[in-house]
Amino acid sequence: MRILVVEDDPDLNRQIVQALSDAGYVVDKATDGEEGCYLGETEPYDAVVLDLGLPVLDGVSVLEKWRRAGKKMPVLILTARDRWSDKVAGFDAGADDYVAKPFQMEEVLARVRALLRRSAGHATSELTCGPMVLDTKSARVTVNGTAIKLTSLEFRLLSYLMHHGGKVVSRTELVEHLYDQDFDRDSNTIEVFVGRLRKKLGVDVLHTIRGMGYCISEPDNAK
Amino acid sequence: MRSRSLSFRLISTSAVVAVVLLVSAAFLLNYLFQAALERNFDARLRAVLDGLLANVELSADGTPGMQGQIADTRFSLPLSGWYWQVSPPKEKGVGDLASDSLLEQRLIPLDSMLKVRDKGGVASFYMTDSEGKQLRAIEQKFKLFGDADDYAFLVAGNFDELRDEILAFRRALYGVLGLLGFGLLASILLQVRVALRPMQAMQQALSAIRGGRAERLEGEFPSEMQPVADELNLLILANTEVIERARTQVGNLAHALKTPLSVLTNEAEGSNTQLGAKVAEQTHVMRDQISLYLDRARRAARAQTIGSSCEVEPVLQALSRTIMRINRDRDVQISVTVSPGLKFRGETQDLEEMTGNLIDNASKWSNRHVSITASPMAGTNGAGRDWLVITVDDDGPGLPAEKRSEAVKRGKRLDETKPGSGLGLSIVTETAAMYGGNVVLGDAELGGLRVELKLPAVA
Repeated sequence: MRILVVEDDPDLNRQIVQALSDAGYVVDKATDGEEGCYLGETEPYDAVVLDLGLPVLDGVSVLEKWRRAGKKMPVLILTARDRWSDKVAGFDAGADDYVAKPFQMEEVLARVRALLRRSAGHATSELTCGPMVLDTKSARVTVNGTAIKLTSLEFRLLSYLMHHGGKVVSRTELVEHLYDQDFDRDSNTIEVFVGRLRKKLGVDVLHTIRGMGYCISEPDNAK
Repeated sequence: MRSRSLSFRLISTSAVVAVVLLVSAAFLLNYLFQAALERNFDARLRAVLDGLLANVELSADGTPGMQGQIADTRFSLPLSGWYWQVSPPKEKGVGDLASDSLLEQRLIPLDSMLKVRDKGGVASFYMTDSEGKQLRAIEQKFKLFGDADDYAFLVAGNFDELRDEILAFRRALYGVLGLLGFGLLASILLQVRVALRPMQAMQQALSAIRGGRAERLEGEFPSEMQPVADELNLLILANTEVIERARTQVGNLAHALKTPLSVLTNEAEGSNTQLGAKVAEQTHVMRDQISLYLDRARRAARAQTIGSSCEVEPVLQALSRTIMRINRDRDVQISVTVSPGLKFRGETQDLEEMTGNLIDNASKWSNRHVSITASPMAGTNGAGRDWLVITVDDDGPGLPAEKRSEAVKRGKRLDETKPGSGLGLSIVTETAAMYGGNVVLGDAELGGLRVELKLPAVA
């Protein structure tokens, strides 16, 4: 899952990026509205953490530009101006949730998880596919109740496919959402990771759709 | 009309001046008319005197005698009031000469009457005859041919005959002056009314601003008042700008303080040292203090706003939309019913903060449904200020009656399991009180808590 953090305060930006990275997300960052706006328009993010008080271009304008450009990724706004008019303006501009400053990082993480889950159409933090369960809250994966130990990148890959359960996800899309913007896009590592994941899970839920990409579905639905 | 009003001052001073002028005019015209009548009467008496001089001669024994007749027959009618007499000096001891109308009586003017004489030596005066008639008389001394002594020639006419003429003139004069007085009064009233109309227009415009129906003084004013209107508009604008600046500063301060506070909080949480725990504890205290004082500063900046008002429905609809999105995981449904055209007399932001906190609270506690109604307060029309009531009902667990007074206290949180700083309801109560309104907690028909917010409305 790839997340963009747009926050002008370098310390706070670093903290949020660190916390999200620790939680297993791929994180890009921007420190002003213009840069954030550009990244949001050009890169496929799964969610955005957007401060409203930004230099160059304010957060509400950035959000409005994205929505006008047809960008539908969920956006969590951070605001120090916690008046209702600011919240209304943020939501009317297309925000999906807000956190008022000062906040605790756990709250931001919980909101981001909820946004990702909601945008994928899931009602709870546990994503299930046959005997496999992925808990987005605790970052745990179990198969038939047994915990499976995964590396950070393996978890990210599985989590992205689980969030898009039933859909075919191309290799390019996976690369875009599992690596930050500086990653070499021609890499073949995705195939290696898929192979390792299949071994670790031990159940036939991760399918290769020839010429199109990968898909997660229950063993019975295998194509 | 109040005694300190401009209308009263203008009308009373104009009326006093008009009365003084009219009374003076009455006296003057009366005097001039009477003086003209006297001059005219004296001229007639002078003609008779001239006739007498031409016809009186001394006889051989020194007695004055009349050689001809005075044409006016009134001098022959007994006690007609028209008399003449020629009196020789007393020391001569000769008889005098008088008109037939005097019979055996004689006119004896007082010395004081004869003192004042004109350039021709004629004394004019009033006297009465034996019948009580008022006489106008003239007297002149002449030397008759053949005698060196002065003979007093006196001619008197009945002045009472002119009295009716004077009375008729006075009646006409007083009537005309009275009409003139009424005309003047009417014109003063009209002038005052027309001249003060712009003042009334300004008063209404100011009242519209105070009542929240206008934001500036609208309309054309006379050149003398336009500078006042312009200054007032500038004052209102300056006031709005000061408040806007204060608000921006408060917002900037919030941003400037809260972002580093977030950094500190998160940095402290990441460290498991004693210092980290202390920083976390103190940043929590700082967060509450900042919320408290920023909130006070915001409201202090708004307290003196003049003439603002806002539509209630768009505010409630926007807040409901936003709060439904915030709580969409719980599928909270918020219904809004607002009387058409309902307007709050105050700042939009204050209405947003008050109703936002109430709807947010209701949504947090509700099972699924929140109902908001806003309507004019019944029975307030014509009784001074107008009020509106916003009712927020939820279908949550409600609040026992004994806990309701606790709930509105600053920083009081009745349940720590729900997010929030505990300032919500107390901010609503304090802001409502700033507008003279209040907050009442009760039981909702939906089963949960009902919060009634009473606020001033625009009539």
